Amino acid sequence: MEIKNFTITKRDGTKDQFSLDKIMNAIVKAFESVSEPADLGIVSKILNHLDMHDDITVEEIQNQVEEALMREGYYNVAKSFILYRQLHSEDRDTLEKMMFLSEYTESVNAATGSKYDANANVEHKNIATLIGELPKSNFIRLNRRLLTDRIKKMYGKPLADEYIDKLTHHFIYKNDETSLANYCASITMYPWLINGTTEIGGNSTAPTNLKSFAGGFVNMVFMVSSMLSGACATPEFLMYMNYFIGKEYGLDYWKHPEQQADLSLKKRTIDKVITDYFEQIVYTLNQPTGARNYQAVFWNVAYYDKYYFQSIFGEFYFPDGSQPDWEGLSWLQKRFMKWFNKERTKTMLTFPVETMALLVDENGECKDKEWGDFTAEMYSEGHSFFTYMSDNADSLSSCCRLRNEITDNGFSYTLGAGGVSTGSKSVLTINLNRCIQYAVNHKIDYLEYLSGIIDLCHKVQLAYNENLKELQSRGMLPLFDAGYINIGRQYLTIGINGLVEAAEFMGLKITPNDDYLHFVQGILGLIEKYNKQYRTKDVMFNCEMIPAENVGVKHAKWDREDGYFVPRDCYNSYFYVVEDDSLTIIDKFKLHGAPYIEHLTGGSALHMNLEEHLSKEQYLQLLKVAAKEGCNYFTFNIPNTVCNECGHIDKRYLHECPHCHSTNVDYMTRIIGYLKRVSNFSQARQEEASRRYYAHAN
Amino acid sequence: MMLKYVNTGIVFQEIPDEVTLAINISGCPCHCPGCHSHYLWEDIGLPLNTDAIDAFVNQYGRNITCIAFMGGDGDPKGVDMLAQYIHEEHPQYKVAWYSGRLRITSAVNKSDFDYIKIGPYIKHLGPLKQPTTNQRLYRQNDTGEFEDITSRFWRK
Repeated sequence: MEIKNFTITKRDGTKDQFSLDKIMNAIVKAFESVSEPADLGIVSKILNHLDMHDDITVEEIQNQVEEALMREGYYNVAKSFILYRQLHSEDRDTLEKMMFLSEYTESVNAATGSKYDANANVEHKNIATLIGELPKSNFIRLNRRLLTDRIKKMYGKPLADEYIDKLTHHFIYKNDETSLANYCASITMYPWLINGTTEIGGNSTAPTNLKSFAGGFVNMVFMVSSMLSGACATPEFLMYMNYFIGKEYGLDYWKHPEQQADLSLKKRTIDKVITDYFEQIVYTLNQPTGARNYQAVFWNVAYYDKYYFQSIFGEFYFPDGSQPDWEGLSWLQKRFMKWFNKERTKTMLTFPVETMALLVDENGECKDKEWGDFTAEMYSEGHSFFTYMSDNADSLSSCCRLRNEITDNGFSYTLGAGGVSTGSKSVLTINLNRCIQYAVNHKIDYLEYLSGIIDLCHKVQLAYNENLKELQSRGMLPLFDAGYINIGRQYLTIGINGLVEAAEFMGLKITPNDDYLHFVQGILGLIEKYNKQYRTKDVMFNCEMIPAENVGVKHAKWDREDGYFVPRDCYNSYFYVVEDDSLTIIDKFKLHGAPYIEHLTGGSALHMNLEEHLSKEQYLQLLKVAAKEGCNYFTFNIPNTVCNECGHIDKRYLHECPHCHSTNVDYMTRIIGYLKRVSNFSQARQEEASRRYYAHAN
Repeated sequence: MMLKYVNTGIVFQEIPDEVTLAINISGCPCHCPGCHSHYLWEDIGLPLNTDAIDAFVNQYGRNITCIAFMGGDGDPKGVDMLAQYIHEEHPQYKVAWYSGRLRITSAVNKSDFDYIKIGPYIKHLGPLKQPTTNQRLYRQNDTGEFEDITSRFWRK
């Protein structure tokens, strides 16, 4: 071994002067530990085997020492050395956890403190959230191992290595690697209606009246959510509730909600009974949940216009042989929205995330005028919810992001309505900005390069699917077995992130223009081509522009560190630059219009940021604009003001509390799918929120 | 002086219940003290003529419901001519005029406008949003009369 001045790389990545003494010391100690004599001659023999170079890592030196000891026949010493290393590595793990523990407890909020999977959906940090954070790194390791083992079996080791390589170099990102459960699902509640929760490990029998519906529903959603890593949508919630209210107070209960409903001294009306149940369900489901690291369950509900209702539930039968009643449901949907909007001025309620499904005609007019009007009315009253518009009831978005093609509108007496069941088993995201820059910098056609990445993603997703099937075959996935989730209706999702940034790198203007459209269609069309190619009768793929609550921040950081062009600290989740104030509202609808989202089969919601609420007539016109441009999924987002002093909540975007005049105010906004306090988002995401351009209303 | 415009925007607050394309006209002679749009005092920008109107119509189509002239007091007859043109050629749109004058000159046919705002900006009286404002927004109703709808700005 040649001794000269060079540096080594320590475990924490810092450099240090190489020290021969340290290596000699370690070797001597190893000999001593097994009481073997070690003189200078033996030590220098071992040192002779070492092949040092600049920036060699500590791990590599130790590997070489191990080998050298064995080559010289000191197997006992080598064994002791190996054990010693293992012990230290375990120590380091624990030490790291302790470091994390202290850093987490000192961080500003839970999302900033989270190292692996920052999510704004946690209000406070405490011992429960900490318990959730600690094993995350282990989950990541376990998930990678499970997946690479499967990839090796299915496609060989080179592909498994390729996956890890692309993952660790941030060309791709595996979402929700910190959880073992499949991602999100829109469930059918029919199995629960028939059998209660016994089939999924619960102890409640089927609901028989309004009271057992309300109580059982909450338990059921908690149970289902604890077996999912993401959202749980219950698109039938109000329809079932309407059924049970009808059973209690008659099908025409909605015609006389002011009637007295109970004999207590309170003399509650039917309306009061109903809204009391709303309160019970909504407040309970917004509680932090133990089984979900103190996050609330990501609960989603859907509203329908008459046409959607007929197409999805037209064939539906309740256990008593009756069919869902549209008139009652229509009233109940409106009642719930009005109640929820009002309740949100009292308490910050994140869930349920609501989606309104509207059918439009070829002129962009809502087919069900009553519900089109009501949608505009609710927006003008400051209610925040998503709208999904289609000219055909062949697709539906019942989750906060996921759109699905309805292939089966039928009804089955075991599974209920086919149209509501959907979800995503797993999301694997392509960092388009890095992939495209890498290809261009290496003089490779970027679509050709992306083809390789996309193909890899599909194979990895198929491997994930096999692992999921194995879990199911071992009885670990009762939601599938009991029929809450139909595995055949669940997608494997290819996510995209950094699309706008990649286009900016290519010198494109991010406005509605042909060059940008061509760029978008080229990439999304390519992904769709592979989605179709890999589709079988058992597996379906879709493509989604992921909300990127934390991935967008991570990608921007990693890409910047590696010298790529990174125009902002958080990659966009839209087709336009969120802080660009030269784009009009109409431009933004165009950029989320049919030509752009055509291949985005998994959906992308346009969050139209406005500084002030508009009038009902103006919202009606914007619904028309959305329909005309083919922007099928959107919400209007006006930051609500929350006073930090007196707790007053105002639907408007204000700098001063109108109640106590304090300027210590915070805002609730929809940065990802959920409406949350801005101060609960991770630091990087908060900065995005403040930079975000809210279209000036004057 | 030929009408010129500096920029446009889609606005919601200026004209209640409409989705409005606002055209910011330069060369404003009013020179209100405390004016928010100083840059509009200069004679700058692109010609605002029927070709420009056609281009806007082409760009925005049915996505907007109203076209508003913001300013143009240097050539009120020119604004009126364009308003007339829009109503004749593109009858689907409402036409609005934000004038800084105290009254509309008799040379202008007011009925060419669906909305007219008059009044200079006077700092201590405040903008339309303040109930103390001197400015007024009128809407032409079905019988052709102009109705003061300034109070629409004071809701909430």
